[in-house]
Amino acid sequence: MESVVTSALQQGLIFAFMALGVFLTFELLGFPDLTVEGTFPLGAAVTARAIIDGANPLLAVLMGALAGGLAGAATGLMHTRLKVNNILAGILTASAIYTVMLRTMGRPNIPLLANENIYGRISGWFNLTENSFSIIIILALITLLVRFLLGWFLNTDLGLAIRATGSNERMIRSLGVNTDNTKLLALIISNFLVGLSGALACQFQGFADVGMGIGVLVAAIASVIAGETIFGGNSLGRLLTGVILGSIVYRGLLALGLRLGLPAEDFKLITAVLVLLVLCLPSLKTTIFWQKDSIAKQPGLSAQPSDKTGREGDA
Amino acid sequence: MIKLTGIEKYFFAGTPNAIKALDSINLEIKQGDFITLIGSNGAGKSTLLKAIAGVINVDAGKIEIEGEDVTGQAEHVRARDIGRIDQDPMASTAAELSIEENLAMAYLRGQRRGLAKAVSTRRTAIFQEALQVIGLGLENRLKVPVGTLSGGQRQALALVMATIARPKLLLLDEHTAALDPNAAKLVMGITEQVVSGNKLTTIMITHNMEQAIRYGNRLIMMHRGRIILDFDASEKKDLTVPALVNKFTSTSGAVFDDDRVLLA
Ligand SMILES: Nc1ncnc2c1ncn2[C@@H]1O[C@H](COP(=O)(O)OP(=O)(O)O)[C@@H](O)[C@H]1O
Ligand SMILES: [Mg+2]
Repeated sequence: MESVVTSALQQGLIFAFMALGVFLTFELLGFPDLTVEGTFPLGAAVTARAIIDGANPLLAVLMGALAGGLAGAATGLMHTRLKVNNILAGILTASAIYTVMLRTMGRPNIPLLANENIYGRISGWFNLTENSFSIIIILALITLLVRFLLGWFLNTDLGLAIRATGSNERMIRSLGVNTDNTKLLALIISNFLVGLSGALACQFQGFADVGMGIGVLVAAIASVIAGETIFGGNSLGRLLTGVILGSIVYRGLLALGLRLGLPAEDFKLITAVLVLLVLCLPSLKTTIFWQKDSIAKQPGLSAQPSDKTGREGDA
Repeated sequence: MIKLTGIEKYFFAGTPNAIKALDSINLEIKQGDFITLIGSNGAGKSTLLKAIAGVINVDAGKIEIEGEDVTGQAEHVRARDIGRIDQDPMASTAAELSIEENLAMAYLRGQRRGLAKAVSTRRTAIFQEALQVIGLGLENRLKVPVGTLSGGQRQALALVMATIARPKLLLLDEHTAALDPNAAKLVMGITEQVVSGNKLTTIMITHNMEQAIRYGNRLIMMHRGRIILDFDASEKKDLTVPALVNKFTSTSGAVFDDDRVLLA
């Protein structure tokens, strides 16, 4: 059981950055950004290459995240400046990233077990040896920092303009906001987080692989939904925290499933079916879980295309 | 203060379905004018407001605001000068965001948005004061998501949002048409209060002739993309609905075909 908890925390925290990124685009911006399937392994690839080239692990992870931000910018520019459909723009970038990754790594896979990683480096600062406990503490601290920064940013004038772009684009444009720029910025931040997630995963696993992005998007969506449904509330702060906890819960369930002997190759199908169920059956959601209006109210992930209208009260 | 010269707008140009939605519109709006704009369905009223706001581009003519040519300017650039409310209560407010967040966005109309806290204590006080004026008690519900408000409340909030940053021009496109009669009356009262209280230069489209006569200091009627009648305050004072309908028929040679108008 202990290994399940450890695994849930380690994996959950690593993938929480990706879940936060996906929450930002899919939910707050209402932009189904498929770039992230490429951004995640890109973050890992760039980090791995930087490490074998002798970079400091912290710098290597930062470079992985920045590469993710660049991928987000590519999709954003394609969509806003060249007017490419949002899904297609993401697919094009993700596809192009595959080549970029192979070129960056020079081969499909880089093992890093012999190199010092970010967890060892930071543990060393505090005279600790790197173990699963110190890894969890380090990840938790980075998560807290990102959670705090994101919460702060989304409540600034600029962050609010991004949220408004997802909620009512026509309105925020009529208030003087260039929504091309808010979309671009949101995509950069989101993919930066996904790149960071990939970089931290690569450091944790001790390798980077071009195939490590397969299925990560559905897992992130499942985490977002789990977080919103179980922990979410009306406030943005609770949603952000909920997404992080959702990622931990989701990874915990996977670890538990493995422990109970479920075949790992079934997980992607099970996840997809679960996500579909939650999205399509709001009534199921309200009875199984206790929250009434988490994702259904948001512009992005709901199965009904537009519940943007909100509810009508009495005059 | 606002000057339109020779504005033309076509839809489906060069096809058999070509529509001339705006046909050589010339209009000069003085500071503080409260214009009511009326006309049959498809006369081009909404198109005119959208052209002024930059939501659509015109095919010919010139739009000036205080001497500055804004004809080709993007909507989000022009937005610093122009507040606008649509008929649809969902259109002018953001449902997922709270009342105070909606106001915070409107408060920065046309300004650069940076990393300042959107809802600060100082701003909250300003929002509360602005909401008190409309008397719906919204100042006590600042954290409530706008999606939970009624259509009337949302339009009233939209009015506060459209005016809180003191735009040079307020454009109202049948902003009470989608509301039930009581809510419509309430929102019209608030409109009058906000517009005259701030001496805002305003164009208000309405399909209600009685309303068009009662409010404002100038009445304009459009037909088939043209301005066919333009009454100033003194001419408007003695106007009645039957007189207006007669005037329309004799000027346009058409029957006023908006049944909503005649029933109103
Ligand atoms: N986006 C559009 N595309 C095509 N035709 C349009 C569009 N908007 C308006 N029109 C046409 O332009 C004319 C004027 O429309 P509109 O300005 O909405 O009239 P009003 O608001 O006076 O009822 C109508 O014939 C309408 O069908
Ligand atoms: Mg209209």
